[in-house]
Amino acid sequence: MAGIRLDKLSFRYPGADTNTLEDLQLDIANGEAHALLGASGAGKTTLLNLLSGILSPTGGRILFDSEDVSALAGRIRNVAQVFQFPVLYESLSVFENLAFPLQTRRASAARIAERVDYVSAELGIAALHKRKPGTLTLSEKQLVAVGKALTRPDTSLVLLDEPLTAVEPRKKWRLRQALLKAQSDLGVTMIYVTHDQTEALTFAERVSVLTADGILQTGTPEEIYQSPAHEFVGHFVGSPGMNFVPASALGVAHGERIGFRPEWALIDAQGPIAGSIKRIRMQSTENGVPMGLITLDTRFGEIAVRSMANLDVGADIALRVNRYVVFAGKTRVGESALA
Amino acid sequence: MRSLKPRDNRAWFGVLPVVLIVAFSAVIPLMTVVNYSVQDILDFNTRFFVGFEWYRETLNDPRFLSAFVRQVVFSGTILLIEIPLGIAVAKGIPRNSKLTPFILILLALPLLIPWNVVATIWQIFARPDIGLLGVGINALGIPYNYATDPTHAWITIVAMDVWHWTSLVALLAFAGLTAIPRPFYQAAEIDGANRWQIFRLIELPRLRGVLIIAILLRLMDSFMIYTEPFVLTGGGPGNATTFLSQYLTTMAVGQFDLGPAAAFSVIYFLFILLFCWLFYSSVVRNDDS
Amino acid sequence: MIRSRWVLIAYVIYLVVPLYWLMSMAIRSNADIVGDFALLPNSPTLANFAEIISNPVWYEAFGNSLAYVVINTVISLAVAIPAAYAFSRYRFLGDKQLFFWLLTNRMAPPAVFLLPFFQLYSAIGLFDTPLAVALAHCLFTVPLSVWILEGFFSAVPRELDELAKIDGHSFPYFFFRIFLPINRGAIGVTLFFCFMFSWVELLLARTLSGAASKPIVVVMTRTVSASGMDWGVLAAAGVLTVLPGVLVVWFVRNHLVKGFALGRVS
Repeated sequence: MAGIRLDKLSFRYPGADTNTLEDLQLDIANGEAHALLGASGAGKTTLLNLLSGILSPTGGRILFDSEDVSALAGRIRNVAQVFQFPVLYESLSVFENLAFPLQTRRASAARIAERVDYVSAELGIAALHKRKPGTLTLSEKQLVAVGKALTRPDTSLVLLDEPLTAVEPRKKWRLRQALLKAQSDLGVTMIYVTHDQTEALTFAERVSVLTADGILQTGTPEEIYQSPAHEFVGHFVGSPGMNFVPASALGVAHGERIGFRPEWALIDAQGPIAGSIKRIRMQSTENGVPMGLITLDTRFGEIAVRSMANLDVGADIALRVNRYVVFAGKTRVGESALA
Repeated sequence: MRSLKPRDNRAWFGVLPVVLIVAFSAVIPLMTVVNYSVQDILDFNTRFFVGFEWYRETLNDPRFLSAFVRQVVFSGTILLIEIPLGIAVAKGIPRNSKLTPFILILLALPLLIPWNVVATIWQIFARPDIGLLGVGINALGIPYNYATDPTHAWITIVAMDVWHWTSLVALLAFAGLTAIPRPFYQAAEIDGANRWQIFRLIELPRLRGVLIIAILLRLMDSFMIYTEPFVLTGGGPGNATTFLSQYLTTMAVGQFDLGPAAAFSVIYFLFILLFCWLFYSSVVRNDDS
Repeated sequence: MIRSRWVLIAYVIYLVVPLYWLMSMAIRSNADIVGDFALLPNSPTLANFAEIISNPVWYEAFGNSLAYVVINTVISLAVAIPAAYAFSRYRFLGDKQLFFWLLTNRMAPPAVFLLPFFQLYSAIGLFDTPLAVALAHCLFTVPLSVWILEGFFSAVPRELDELAKIDGHSFPYFFFRIFLPINRGAIGVTLFFCFMFSWVELLLARTLSGAASKPIVVVMTRTVSASGMDWGVLAAAGVLTVLPGVLVVWFVRNHLVKGFALGRVS
């Protein structure tokens, strides 16, 4: 396993006018579970291909444990990858699939059996050993694919490219738990690439939000959610994303805009943000009180607030904001104290 | 997917034209053949029912049996050459080059040349007096003449069939190869698989479907081969390159032996069905295990 | 990969050399052909092509061939499209058996049908017309067309049909204005395969045509046996029969790869 460093990493496709990736700077600790979160077009796939060695950087360096691997071919870097859909050798049994990466490196049969059994126990797939991939469900196949990425003990990095996309929704949670457990038990450095914020925030120890303008923020899921470094992060993470109003609306002197999450506001007739209820979406019941997401029409545009839902569409109400983040020129310049 | 299709017998209206036209051009003639095969026809007004006599006679006819053996050897030979060669050619076609469409068109070309023209091309090419190939081989000191030497005739016909039909296998295999998603190759690279392992573990299993089609088509079409040997060698020298279709045509049209020819036809058709079924069911059985 | 590249190059050379020889013969005079052996024509001439263009036996034969190829292709597509749609969209009584029965016809050797065809078409007065050959070729092109089109049609999601219904389009409007245009690649490929069979076949074409509708493939074989040695004209006719194939393959070039997998490659 290795710590990964991207040092001013840039990439431009041949014939393109602009860089797809520009001056990326990122440090990932040895054994860390890291998520790369980004919308489509942000350059996730390009970055993935640079890490796995399919593409070579046109600027900057990629370091594995301070060794520059930028120019090395994928198979020398010892990077393993799990793809969007399960990639297995269909004519081999599950055991043979798991053993294959070790066999090609001429490990002894005893060593192979030991390692395959260990990884299989971690992922709970030992019972599948004798079966052919064709007889497995999608999520079982994807677990085996994960196992195949983990069997080699000298793997520096495991890349996961939207690995849950093809998995049935009901099985996603179980598969993610298995992944997390294996990751922490084996101490593998993992980079999990996804456009799905829930997957990123629940999987990773740290998350990087990638856009076409580069990495906007790297931090723990908590940091990303509670104090987004950039308006885009606030808007992109969370469901729905942050509400934005001019700083003057709350009487905040520094900064241009204020961002606050739906649950950071309360209905208060004296509040500074007034509007009429446009729609109500029921979400849950807390202690017998129906809770919902209320969307207001205000002079700042639509504002969402999580609140008791015992109100009617069309009613005029006002909001008080308990906690907020201040932005200037799109980036965070301050925030209120935690309420 | 298929099981989700709604059941609706009105769909029969859609297939009715096909059924009518195929019934007209297959069922009526086939019934005629079966009818002839159990009769002795002296002329169209004088016929006797002879039961399975013609079948017995055909199956004991040494000329039929030797044509049959030649046919099996020929089909086996060209399958053994064309299938691996077609796969190798397909693997050599660049995926996204500017040249790719031109290579594909060139490969498709032999498939669109009338079969007798294919034979004519090879005649002009292989004749020892005017052909580039014939003259060339003779210049090397080998007395090559496909019209007089049975071995040379065989080699020439096999070479011609390879020239004519390997493209079909290659285009099918190429279609199969391009359908393999890139991650399969990336994963193999990461796993440290060598070229042979990539072929055996990724490409071959994923080519299975198209290869079954290729083998079936080549098997049945080579079993029906008529025009090319007819034009190139006329079935000779002697009977060295007389295959089943040619023997049958001589019998039916040349000698007008209607009854035996019809029995021959039925046996011939059943053999092709049997071979295709044997091949197909052995493949499907392999699937289940 | 490198080794396969060499196999491809070697194979392409193997393909091209006999074709080169055909073309080179087509522009030589007979004296030149049977005279001293030469890799390149001594005095290239278009006389052989002129002979074909000016001789009605040759150009009428071309016309006859094209006539039955076109009729066959039109009939095959006209009956195969609705059938393939039915097979791809519905289950119905005997559908699997019917599909299999259609395919077995592709396995029947043409030689088996020679005599019955001759009698059948003579009896109904179609012998020696392009229609007879076209219908006879249907025996092979129709099952193949249904098979290919069914593969392509099944790949088009059924939601499309339902969407059109929800949008208030009538079935004919949906079928002709939406469904068929989407599948024009598939239809092009099917056309290619019908052409490929009907244009290249000799045995049935020869048996079912007499003096009036003699197709090009037959005229060519007769030339060999009659005058025996007119190699230049024969080669020129060969070159001309290759041309329609080149045209057809050029039109479907973009769908060629998918077509060769008969729509069944996912």
